[in-house]
Formats: sequence, structure tokens, C-alpha cells
Amino acid sequence: MIHSLFLINCSGDIFLEKHWKSVVSQSVCDYFFEAQEKAADVENVPPVISTPHHYLISIYRDKLFFVSVIQTEVPPLFVIEFLHRVADTFQDYFGECSEAAIKDNVVIVYELLEEMLDNGFPLATESNILKELIKPPTILRSVVNSITGSSNVGDTLPTGQLSNIPWRRAGVKYTNNEAYFDVVEEIDAIIDKSGSTVFAEIQGVIDACIKLSGMPDLSLSFMNPRLLDDVSFHPCIRFKRWESERVLSFIPPDGNFRLISYRVSSQNLVAIPVYVKHSISFKENSSCGRFDITIGPKQNMGKTIEGITVTVHMPKVVLNMNLTTTQGSYTFDPVTKVLTWDVGKITPQKLPSLKGLVNLQSGAPKPEENPSLNIQFKIQQLAISGLKVNRLDMYGEKYKPFKGVKYVTKAGKFQVRT
Amino acid sequence: MLPHQDEKEPTSYRGSCGSCPVTVRKMPYLGSEDVVKELKKALCNPHIQADRLRYRNVIQRVIRYMTQGLDMSGVFMEMVKASATVDIVQKKLVYLYMCTYAPLKPDLALLAINTLCKDCSDPNPMVRGLALRSMCSLRMPGVQEYIQQPILNGLRDKASYVRRVAVLGCAKMHNLHGDSEVDGALVNELYSLLRDQDPIVVVNCLRSLEEILKLEGGVVINKPIAHHLLNRMSKLDQWGQAEVLNFLLRYQPRSEEELFDILNLLDSFLKSSSPGVVMGATKLFLILAKKFPHVQTDVLVRVKGPLLAACSSESRELCFVALCHVRQILHSLPGHFSSHYKKFFCSYSEPHYIKLQKVEVLCELVNDENVQQVLEELRGYCTDVSADFAQAAIFAIGGIARTYTDQCVQILTELLGLRQEHITTVVVQTFRDLVWLCPQCTEAVCQALPGCEENIQDSEGKQALIWLLGVHGERIPNAPYVLEDFVENVKSETFPAVKMELLTALLRLFLSRPAECQDMLGRLLYYCIEEEKDMAVRDRGLFYYRLLLVGIDEVKRILCSPKSDPTLGLLEDPAERPVNSWASDFNTLVPVYGKAHWATISKCQGAERCGPELPKTSSFAASGPLIPEDNKEREQELPDSGALMLVPNRQLTADYFEKTWLSLKVAHQQVLPWRGEFHPDTLQMALQVVNIQTIAMSRAGTRPWKAYLSAQDDTGCLFLTELLLEPENSEMQISVKQNEARTETLNSFISVLETVIGTIEEIKS
Repeated sequence: MIHSLFLINCSGDIFLEKHWKSVVSQSVCDYFFEAQEKAADVENVPPVISTPHHYLISIYRDKLFFVSVIQTEVPPLFVIEFLHRVADTFQDYFGECSEAAIKDNVVIVYELLEEMLDNGFPLATESNILKELIKPPTILRSVVNSITGSSNVGDTLPTGQLSNIPWRRAGVKYTNNEAYFDVVEEIDAIIDKSGSTVFAEIQGVIDACIKLSGMPDLSLSFMNPRLLDDVSFHPCIRFKRWESERVLSFIPPDGNFRLISYRVSSQNLVAIPVYVKHSISFKENSSCGRFDITIGPKQNMGKTIEGITVTVHMPKVVLNMNLTTTQGSYTFDPVTKVLTWDVGKITPQKLPSLKGLVNLQSGAPKPEENPSLNIQFKIQQLAISGLKVNRLDMYGEKYKPFKGVKYVTKAGKFQVRT
Repeated sequence: MLPHQDEKEPTSYRGSCGSCPVTVRKMPYLGSEDVVKELKKALCNPHIQADRLRYRNVIQRVIRYMTQGLDMSGVFMEMVKASATVDIVQKKLVYLYMCTYAPLKPDLALLAINTLCKDCSDPNPMVRGLALRSMCSLRMPGVQEYIQQPILNGLRDKASYVRRVAVLGCAKMHNLHGDSEVDGALVNELYSLLRDQDPIVVVNCLRSLEEILKLEGGVVINKPIAHHLLNRMSKLDQWGQAEVLNFLLRYQPRSEEELFDILNLLDSFLKSSSPGVVMGATKLFLILAKKFPHVQTDVLVRVKGPLLAACSSESRELCFVALCHVRQILHSLPGHFSSHYKKFFCSYSEPHYIKLQKVEVLCELVNDENVQQVLEELRGYCTDVSADFAQAAIFAIGGIARTYTDQCVQILTELLGLRQEHITTVVVQTFRDLVWLCPQCTEAVCQALPGCEENIQDSEGKQALIWLLGVHGERIPNAPYVLEDFVENVKSETFPAVKMELLTALLRLFLSRPAECQDMLGRLLYYCIEEEKDMAVRDRGLFYYRLLLVGIDEVKRILCSPKSDPTLGLLEDPAERPVNSWASDFNTLVPVYGKAHWATISKCQGAERCGPELPKTSSFAASGPLIPEDNKEREQELPDSGALMLVPNRQLTADYFEKTWLSLKVAHQQVLPWRGEFHPDTLQMALQVVNIQTIAMSRAGTRPWKAYLSAQDDTGCLFLTELLLEPENSEMQISVKQNEARTETLNSFISVLETVIGTIEEIKS
């Protein structure tokens, strides 16, 4: 299925390759580089490229390209998902998925790739099973290893490999039994010039961290399950139970995993927690323009909005910006023309604003279109859709677990047009 | 590091100091021999060998250099020795090394086989599995005889980890045998392992059998196997589920009852969190329910949610592929996503390939309710910083204009007011196609045109503008003056196609406004005949000159063709595309490339390289110009030389052709071999020589490519012909219809046609 994998950085160096079948020459990547050149911006390299003898399916993550070489017809989504899983695993093991981290841990990377795929087919991809096969590097462990000479490889066969439930290993034991759930909601929205919502939607996930001994059987119920429009489930969830009772019933995997992801898309249910007042104008036949934006809270349900960042891709003719801000700090990169304003928290008494002059290239025609503002923010202790967990029950084991639920709302692709 | 290297390659020296991580990779290419020598010494050093930790570190360095592309095969002997150890990490590293270099050093690798064989019976299942996997991956000739027994033992191992490795090992062993013979006993053993306890062993069996039985059509899924797999589905991981769903496509349920049982079992997979599984399940539903259109529609409604979620997924690559599938579905169910149109609005930060797909989707899901909002949105994209994206948006508006003409023409006209070069040229091209397909907008277009000429520089745009001025010049007051500018500057014009277009346009305008055009027409003809270096342009000039000598009536007869002809829409793909026509392509690469393109790629892999702009070209296919410029006028030029049997056909309009074509039955059908690329113009020219008139043909490179021809013999018998070129079959299908049934004339007509096509085919190769 997946013949080979090449890791390529932004400057076009192939810094790692792995072949699961016969060796495919690096020259196959020339087709990829050609596409990269044509695309101008690295972001725009198309994910599927055909070459005379292979197909290259690639993903772009954290400034790295994962390019897989495929020789037969495959479901493209399958390969893309798998490549993301590889990147996730690196992230999980090394804390970041960067060229430096991969190069530093090249031996572990090879071990991982060897276990994740055999003969081109995905094998062990669950993080908790992999971690038993190959222990992740830690500073402490590398010190210990270098003193004792022990290794980062499990000496015994992981128990998870033997369990009949593929997502849970047998014989799990904890002294503290805990089950935590994070309800994370992201708001994707496009707000038009006048401040009205063009499009808004909530993408939510419930991530779980379960450390429970034995084979616990959990059921999680919501106060308002009908809110959820489209739900996708972790394979452990009993679908029939959800269909009939709207209860999530499952034997959980051990450790961290994503329980469900869902969407709330009916327009009236999506609250928009911030508003932006803006006036951006470029004068005809003059080399300057005005820039003025103010951010304020809107439907924030009484919670503090924090971690606000505003990113603006200014038009090409902008040379520089002279701005003053009442709060936070801003940077403008004259090469990429990206303005970043790190705002922080909103205090309703004094709304943060950023205003000043924009210097344009003299003689150039005035930009046709005003830039859009991309906004990031975070609200703790709130699921903006109003979703609330009712209760969590455990069956099958005798002990009393510690339970916790946290809510957080973030901006996803949140765009304000000006 | 040796000093002389510093002089040769300063960057590499810097790299070796560790100051620049990128060049580190390149450094060892130079110092390779020394590094090998040094490592060899270290590996042989008994002190290091005695110290487990130092020994392993040296081995790690070898692996590190190896992965950086440095030839480390020099230390093979030493590495083989290092494999005899109890340290499992060391073993892993050495195995990795051996798998890389075994093909280069087969004789030495045989030495390692002993150790590997011994490890295959180690008490630790990890070691057994590891050794077996490495042995199967050695990829050197002659290894088969050594691995056969360990694999057979592995298939019966009590640890599932080893069985998983052994099952895939069967496929690797088969590949080493050179795909020749299939070991029946082994195949039976694998089929029986489909009942294994471990779900991954089951899936691996399927994968392995599929490879071993490739020549016999892959693994056979009969009723017991199918139901066994269905029952194990929920125990598999997402990759296994996706693959099993794919294998199940081969199973044909015996009864309707069984079919619906299967569908019920699979129901929950439509809601899986993995998009790959959702798509796999959808495809299986679509294929199994191919006789139940309502079930198909129902499934597509149910996966709408997951598919839309994938379209806004975090992973841009997933978004892209999901959008391609959305387009596929829209072809059959145009209204399917109409209420979700806002999902397909582009946000600034998305990569290009996603934006282009979204614009395409928007263009297809437009309906009475959302047309206003969609057009407003697209209007915003037209001024995007990226010229490509802006142009795609304009073409999309042009596409929508075929249904909602007035609104779109107004938007397009406003865009002209921006006086941006890249916008104006595309708008004018869109106008050209639009007046051809929707003649009712001609008036509005003619009013919008004046002034455009100042903002057009490229060949395509100029051609479109000149064509419009020529054909509809009588409604545009300043048309002659614009053309005059072009005539004035013809010497510095770089594109021959523009000159050709100019000749035709000016001659046409001359017919309706002779007083204003006569003088400059003379100048242009003089220039083209006397000074022009391009043969085609000169020939065209001469042709018009001689035509004018014959008389104005003759010119009129030839040049004054219908100004618009929406019936030529028949050249485009039929709008009706049932779900079953693409169900088998669902969840493959076909929706990404488009079926036609996919067929070309997979057919002539190696012959032609298709670049990364594929999604883009396919997305423009529907909105691009309908017929190449040259054809538009050429198809109206009639051959006037005499012929043995066929006479030059007079005034057979496309309209009349279509009517006649539909009313007649196919009198003769045959296929001729046809390979590769060709130029429609050549074919048209050749046909013209024998007095076969081309009514219409698709653009070069379109798949399937079609052409409609007509001819008439001296007794008045009409021959209507359709040429159909489908790349999958690499042959040209010819269907001939005749209005009077006469076999002997039909036969001679076909032989003429065969000769022409045969000749072209020869010229080509």
C-alpha cells in the first residue's frame, strides 16, 4: 500500500527516507519539487501528485512534508489519515514534530516506522500500544540509560497486543483511578464587513484521559444531547446505545484518546463571543492609509475572553505600519506583510484597540480589497454550544474512580472581513 | 576532519563543526572513507565490544550515517558480528542495517542468516517477530530457502505478534520468488488463518493473499468469509476496517434479504470517526445497493454530515480530497449540498488547491435560493491577491451565468471597471463563451466591451476580444477603431493566433461595416501576405484575399455563420450522471483527478507526465472556451474543390445536423486503432480535403473527445458521422448514419474515412 516515505523540509532537503518494499530512488521526489516550485508558496503544494510510475500523496505539517510513494490504486483518505497519524506519533514521542527533533531521534523514528507499517500496511498505530513497544525518550530516561545501559525498548511483548479488544490492553493497574474529559469547542466563522455572521459553526471534540484499572465499562450522559448535529465516534463506543438512548457507553482505551467529535451548525445556536470595530482605508493617489481596529466582547456568557491574537495579511503594496496599541504588543513583518497583534485578555472597561498609519509603496495603485482579520481567542470553563455533561457511571469494576470534566472554547478559523 | 576538505567545500567543513544542521547531512559524502575506517576500527575494538553501551553507541552512529545517505556497506562484516547479542536494541539496529545493505552484499548477508534463524526460535516473542520480519525484508536472491521454514513455524506461533509478521512474510517470500508459482498449501494455510483470534492477523491474511493471488484476481471473498469478516469488523482498528470494507466490495449477496442484513451490520461505520472508514462504508453501500436508488440516495444523505465535517477538517489534505468527493456527488445530485453552501466559502488562509475546489463546488450547487449570496461571495474572490484564484472565480461566475445570465453579466461588467489586466482578460474570455451559449446576453456584453482593449495584454484575452468585435461588431460603435489599433500594431504582435483572429474578425466586420474597414483590411492583408513570416498567418491572408477576389457574396456565404449556437452544448458531458456511473470510483483517486484524466494517467503512465496543476485544469474544463478559436471559424469554411463522389456540403447548420442525427439510426459502427495525442486541426484539415465537413468537435485533449462530421454525395445522400475517442480503449469509435440506406455508397464513404484517419495516425507515429 505505502511503498516508501520521504520527509522533506521547506528548503527541499530530503532528510529521511524509509522503504517498506523495494527501494524507490530519491529522484521520484523531483516531481514533488517541481510541483512545489510551481505552487510558489509551500502551503499550496497539491496533496496528490502523479508521476509516471507512482503516485505521491503528501501532507504538510509543522513546516515538514511527509511524502508517501504509492504504486497501486488506494483510497486517498486512508493514506492521508495514516500520514497524519505518523506525524501525531512523532509529536507525541518528541514533544514536537520538527526536523531537529526527528534528526535527534532518528533511531527511534526508524523503530517507530518499522512497527507502524509492515510491507506497506499499517500495523500498530495506537499510541499506548506503540509506547509499550518503544519507550519514548525522556531526559531522565536517557540519563538512566547511559548509566545503566538499559534501553528504550520494551523487553517483553506488550500486553495490548494480546488483548481481544484492540484498543485496550489487558491487566491495567493504577493506584489512583481517574477519568478526565475535556470538552473542547472551536468556532469557525466568517463575519462580514458590517459585523453580521456570514457563516458560523462549532466543531467540538471530547478528549478523554482515562486511567482506570481492569476492564471498566463507562457510560457518559449529557444534559442536552440533542444539541449535537453530526457525531463521529471512537470505535469503542456502542453505536446502538447512542441511537436509542443518546448515552455514550464504552469500554475505554487506556490513556489519552478522542472519544467523540461533533458539529453544531444551526446558525442561531452559534454564539459569537467577540466583535471587531474596524476602519481600514487606503487613499487614492497617496502613499498612506489608515488602520484602526477595536475588539470587544459580545456573547461571552459572562466569561473572560483571553489569549486573543489578531493576524492580518496586509496587501502587497504595504511597506510599513506605524501603529499604537492600548494593550498588548504588535509586530509587522515587511517581508511576508503579516501583522500580528497579541492582545491578551479583554477587560470590558477599556477595550483594546490598535490604530495608526499604513505606509504604501508610492505610485502603486491602491489595493482593491481590504485585508481580512484572523482572530484567535480562548474562553475557559465554557462550551459555547451549551453542551453539558450530566453524569458518568462506571460498571464492571468495584473501586470508585475520580471523575472530572473541563470545558474550553477556542476560535477555529475565525475570520472578520473588512 | 582533514584540512584539505576545508578548501574544497567550506560549507561542509562548517557543517561538521555543528554550526549548521542542514549541511551536516551533506558533509559525510566527502569524508565517507575515513568515517567508515574509523567506525570499522571502533567496531573491532575488543574494549568497545566488551562495553555494551559504547558498542551500541558506535552502532547507532553507523545507523545515523546510513540514514543520512552515506555508504556504510564497508562495515557489513563487523555489523553481522554485532548481531550476536542479547541486547534487543542492538539487534534491532543491526537488523535495520542488514535490511538496507543485504542487496548490495548478498554473500556477506548469508552469514547473518544463521543468527537470524536462531533468533526466530528465541523464547522472547518480540525477538522472534523482529528476526522473522528482518529476514523477510532482506531482499536478496537465494534467501527464500532459508526463510520458508521460519515463516511456516511463525504462522503457528502462539504469540499473535509473530503470526502477524509471518503472515505478511508469506507475501514477501512470494515476491522474492518472482511472482511465478503460487504455493497452494501456503494459500490454504492463509485462508484458514482468516479465522485467527487476533484481528490484525486476519487483516494481514487478506493483505497477504491479495498480493500472492494478484494474477488470479486477488483474494476470493465467498459467503462464509464475507460474514466472518462482517462479524469481526467492530474488533478491527480503523485501518483494518477501511481495508476490509474494500475487500467486501467483491462479495455479491445472494438475496435481497442478505443484502439488507449486511447493510444493517455496516450501518454504524457510516458514523465512524475515521473519514477513511466512512468513505469505505459509503462506497460499499453504494455498490451493494446499486439496484436500489432510494437506498443510495439515503446513504448519501446520511454521510452528508461526516463528509462536510471532513471538508472543514483540520487537515487541509483531508479537506481537499473530501471536496473532490463532494463534487463527484454533486454531479448526480445537484441539490445535495445546496443548503450548506456557506460551508464552501473560502477563508483567506486556505491553500490554493482547496480554494479552487470550493469555487468549483459553489458553482455547481447554485440554486434559486442561494444564487444571490453565492454570487456575492464569488464577486469578493475576483479581486483576490492571487491572480489564479481571482481568474478561477471569474470563470466560475461565467459558469453560473449559463443559468443566471443577467445577474452574472452585471457582476462581470462591474469587474471590467476595475481596469485590472488579469481580471479583464478572463472576463472577456468568459463573455465570448457566454454570447455563444446564451445569445440573449449579447446586447449587455456589447455595451460592456468598449474600453477593455486598454487592459488586455495576453494572447487568450486578445483573441477573445477580437472575436467578439468581429462577430458582434455592428452593435459596438467603436469596433472598427479598436481593430484599427490592433492592425496598426500588428508588426509588433507576438502571437500568431492573435493575427489569425484579427484577419477573420476584420473581414467579418468589413461585411457589416465596409466603409470603415476597407482601408485597414487592405493594409492588414498586404502586411500578412508580404511581410508576415508565420506560414499559417500568411496562408490565411492569401486565402481571404483570393476569397475576396471571387466576390462579396461568396465571402458572405462562407463567413456569415450563426453568431451563437447553444445547441453545441451537446459536445459537453451530458448533465445526467447516475450514481452508479461513479460509485466504483468513489473513495479512489479518480475523484481527485477526474475520471477522464485518471484514465489517461493510468493508461499512458510513462508516456506522458501530468503535472500538479491537474486539479486546476480539470476544474477549468467546464468553464473554459467551448471550441478552440481556430475551429470556430474553420468549421464554417467550406471546401470548394470538386470530389469524386462527395460534394461540398451547403449550409448544414449545427441545429439541422443535430435534428437529423437524432432522427436516424446508426447504419454502421466500427472502431479504428488510435493512440496518444493528436491535433484536431490536422484531422479537420484532412477531412476537408475529401469534402467531409466538420460540424463540431471537442477541444484537443478533452476526454472523451468527440467530433461530428457530415458529408453529402452527388445524389444527395447524407452521411452523418460521430467520432468518439475514449482513452481507456485507445481506439476511435466511428458511428455513421445515413439518410438513405445504400450499402455500396456507405462502404465507400467508410473507406474514405478510414483512409483519412489511418493517414493521420501514421503521420502521428
